Amino acid sequence: MKKFLTLMAVVLLASGCAPTPYWTLTDESNQVVKSTSFQMDVPKGWARTTKPVTWERVDIDGETRTLLLESMGVTRDGVGIHAVSVTRRYPETAFPTIKKKSTANMLPPEAADLYVSELRKRSGLERLTVSSNKPARIGDKPGFELLMQFKNEDGLRIQILTYGFVDKTGLYTLSYRAPVLYFYDRDYASFKRLVGSFRQLPGAFEPPPEIPAWAKLFT
Amino acid sequence: MRNVLYVAVMLALGGCATTEGVTSFKAAEDTGNLHEKERRLWHEAAGYDRTIERSGQLYEHERATRYLQGVMDGLYPEFKGKIPVRIYDSTQLNAFAMPNGSIYINIGMLARIENEAQLAAVLGHEAVHFIEKHSFQQRVSTKNAASFAVSGIPFASLAAASSISGFSRELEREADAMGYQRLVKAGYDPREAHKIFQHLADEVKALDIEEPYFFSSHPRLVERIDEFKRLSAQHKGGGRTGAEQYNAVVSEIRLDALKRDIGQDRYKSVILVMEDSTLRGVYPAAGYFYLGEAYSRRDEAGDEARALEAYRKAEKLAPGFAPTYMRLGMHHMKKGNKGGARQYFKRYLSVAPRDASDRNYVQQYMNSL
Repeated sequence: MKKFLTLMAVVLLASGCAPTPYWTLTDESNQVVKSTSFQMDVPKGWARTTKPVTWERVDIDGETRTLLLESMGVTRDGVGIHAVSVTRRYPETAFPTIKKKSTANMLPPEAADLYVSELRKRSGLERLTVSSNKPARIGDKPGFELLMQFKNEDGLRIQILTYGFVDKTGLYTLSYRAPVLYFYDRDYASFKRLVGSFRQLPGAFEPPPEIPAWAKLFT
Repeated sequence: MRNVLYVAVMLALGGCATTEGVTSFKAAEDTGNLHEKERRLWHEAAGYDRTIERSGQLYEHERATRYLQGVMDGLYPEFKGKIPVRIYDSTQLNAFAMPNGSIYINIGMLARIENEAQLAAVLGHEAVHFIEKHSFQQRVSTKNAASFAVSGIPFASLAAASSISGFSRELEREADAMGYQRLVKAGYDPREAHKIFQHLADEVKALDIEEPYFFSSHPRLVERIDEFKRLSAQHKGGGRTGAEQYNAVVSEIRLDALKRDIGQDRYKSVILVMEDSTLRGVYPAAGYFYLGEAYSRRDEAGDEARALEAYRKAEKLAPGFAPTYMRLGMHHMKKGNKGGARQYFKRYLSVAPRDASDRNYVQQYMNSL
């Protein structure tokens, strides 16, 4: 156990987690957020992650796997209440829990259906309902706009608005989640502006990176 | 005569597990006279009822709820008004009884049941857990505590956990035996009782479920199927099945259950149902659309052709069901058959409701073709 904790401490320091603040507040100087595959504008005064998350652990049929992805988080009130996540998943692992790949010729409603299934299965949101599913444009790509809703254990209605598209480089989603009560409407327009500012970057077409060896220690 | 003997043995076995001093309810009036610890258990259960309701886990279907209540009241007329039956919004094959008499039956279970006699077997069984105070009797083991997370219900209570994930083998046997008696007394055909266990056994096998939830795994499903078959074989005179009335009430729920199964990627379950000749007969014809969806999701060799065949059956047998036309239109569009795609999309637009979720996509594709 002691050895493991020491190893963890070394790994975290070596990976640079310690000196870099994970979240930062946006102002005029850092409103444009760039990741490898995409960029977007974040509203002033909101918090955002400083670097993208590049891997995640996913439980697939009882087995934990480490998968590549690229994801940035944004929030105004704290992610427990209000969260925006912009994510790119690679084609082979676009819908990991339901074990489906994305393909360049996948139509937006097909991608939207798989996305909802993935969300339900992965988050255990069996009763997540789809209020609307419409075509949308994200950057220059045809995609989908999904409005979904669920109630938490306390009966609070939570709404999720997701824009997404697939191309040969994978599945891209921009999701906004907030309680219907007060929060959702308050920042709906800001989220729409963030979606409007989304651009895919040339980095999206480069070969995917390797999963860091130390990340595999967690699985 | 052997029937009576079996039931007596089962009841005696069940009795072995009872907590000293616990007496079962004989009629609705008895429910007003509770032991202090029991009262707390009821209070706790009422809290879970509220959680289920406010967190949107109830499936709202007034007609079906009223019908289920009617069947329950017919089985246990002396408890009328004390055993409320509600529909739980989950596609898993499950039903459960709370200590305070609330009975929940999942839409997955309702969809799979073929007639009123089978429904009566399930409800009759669950009501026994309440009447015989099984929650109160059961000393919940640590094992139950660890495995209570069923159906996504956020219960922290051990009593509630046992209500959902099953009682001890003895208590389940008691519920089987007493439920069976009620089924016969109410005039249902007892030969239907084992069939719901058979559906569960098929589901467990097809979906590789390690621990079946409904009626738990005690005694084992096969044992119970055989026992119910043996009992009913000795019963002379048959009884009513109530198939027509049941199917009229749950038709809509069956389609909804298929839709939800696909939405949760439970395509194996949809294939199991729609490829079963008996079940297929009671499901609405639009179920073929979901069979097509299930094959598309599974995506094994030959599944594209199977999906297409299923969509075509849906088109033929359920011509008023719009989603089929959208899928067929998309299929033709992807294959480069613009004429075929246009024909199906046009059909979709003429059949689909004005507020159909996919209408905007179809309109967009029509404009682009």
